[in-house]
Amino acid sequence: MSSHQTHLNEEIEKLKHQVLNMAAMTERAVEKATRGFVERDEGLAEEVILGDNRINELEVDIDRFCLRLLALEGPVAGDLRFIVGCMRISVDLERIADEAVNIAERSMILSSRPPLPFHDDIRAMSDKALVMLRHAVRSFSSGDPDKAREVCCMDNLVDELNQKNIRKVIEYMVTETPAIRRSVHIINIIRRYERIADLSTNVAETVVFVVSGTNIKHQRYFDDRVPEADTPSRRIEDVGAEG
Amino acid sequence: MKEQIKIRAKNLNFYYTDFLALSEVSLDFFPHQATALIGPSGCGKSTFLRCINRMNDLIPGVRVEGSLCLDGQDIYGPKVDVVEIRRRVGMVFQKPNPFPKTIFENVAYGLRVNGGRDREALSRRVEESLRLSALWDEVKDRLDQSALGLSGGQQQRLCIARALAVRPEVLLMDEPASALDPIATQKIEELIHELKKRFTIIIVTHSMQQAARVSDRTAFFYMGRLIEVGNTETIFTYPRHKQTEDYITGRFG
Repeated sequence: MSSHQTHLNEEIEKLKHQVLNMAAMTERAVEKATRGFVERDEGLAEEVILGDNRINELEVDIDRFCLRLLALEGPVAGDLRFIVGCMRISVDLERIADEAVNIAERSMILSSRPPLPFHDDIRAMSDKALVMLRHAVRSFSSGDPDKAREVCCMDNLVDELNQKNIRKVIEYMVTETPAIRRSVHIINIIRRYERIADLSTNVAETVVFVVSGTNIKHQRYFDDRVPEADTPSRRIEDVGAEG
Repeated sequence: MKEQIKIRAKNLNFYYTDFLALSEVSLDFFPHQATALIGPSGCGKSTFLRCINRMNDLIPGVRVEGSLCLDGQDIYGPKVDVVEIRRRVGMVFQKPNPFPKTIFENVAYGLRVNGGRDREALSRRVEESLRLSALWDEVKDRLDQSALGLSGGQQQRLCIARALAVRPEVLLMDEPASALDPIATQKIEELIHELKKRFTIIIVTHSMQQAARVSDRTAFFYMGRLIEVGNTETIFTYPRHKQTEDYITGRFG
């Protein structure tokens, strides 16, 4: 029995292309928002805000495309998981782009005021969040669940940076009361990067689901349950031919 | 804990003279479950289905090896009453095949063959069977009319009623909706959901969507071998074998 291309195959390639296109635009939005903040460049921040419409449109397009494939093609197995995965990933990418817009909006406010001494901390955090996003997208592109799992492991680092940086800004606020309003914006920016890391983790988790059929979402909260749950080894046993 | 097994095939080989049509098939069926047999044409799924009530016996030169048990009793054992096996294991075919008789006589046919003469008892059983096959309300006022006047979908449900009238334990269905329109198909599928509460159902279908909709378990056959069996949700979301995935997703060269 040999495999052959089907119409659905071609449609799925188109869908993948659309999701990768949206992911590339989202990556660029986060990069620009970060540069806009660090370099205090209002022009870059404005580009992020204006570019968000296109990303929103792509989310709607992908949603419509997936719905059409589900309704008309009756996908199953890997095809079904891929389409459901694309619907989830496009929602996460759109939210990441919204976080970039939020960073850009706060950057525009901050760029007209004296800078605060947190750029290096935020740069370090944004670098990690961006790496997570890039790796999550690459794992989707190449269908690599191991790379996707690596992204999930990186989330703890960003969570630690988030807590450390927020503590640092709060300590600063206590002594520098005239900078409280700007510091609140900084805290918000820190939180945005933490959310970008979380949403990139979601993308990576979806990649694991698409490729291997294993749902690893929220697993850290249910570690005790895992051996009893729908683990891959258990599922394989269940599917095995009887004898 | 596994449920009680209704039918168990163990290392079943089936030959049409020298041609090995089924090879080492081991497969269990459980009560109150619908199991779908899927696979490309010529894969052996219908041959396997017909083994279960020994319909293949009618073909010259066939040979069976291994065992096929119904409630632990070998269907191909030396002292088996084939007529009794076929009473316990009913069958519905691809095309509705009502007899050129009245609706009542079609359903009562199996009972009469088995010696039923009491008109009142026959009537009760006919009504029970027609209700079970969700046809009663449509035909109760014309039981004495020819079954050939029914629509295709109604004829198929009549054939199901005819199979149910002798109170089988297992119902084999060989592409029961492939000749029907979508509305009649939906009625048959709804019926399968109801019937599996009382019977063990085994259905051969070429429609993947139908297998996904009606069955609890799905078995994929290819070239006379059972490739994969599992609960239907698993087969249609995470099949283990590439051959299964290629078949159900239509990537089949």
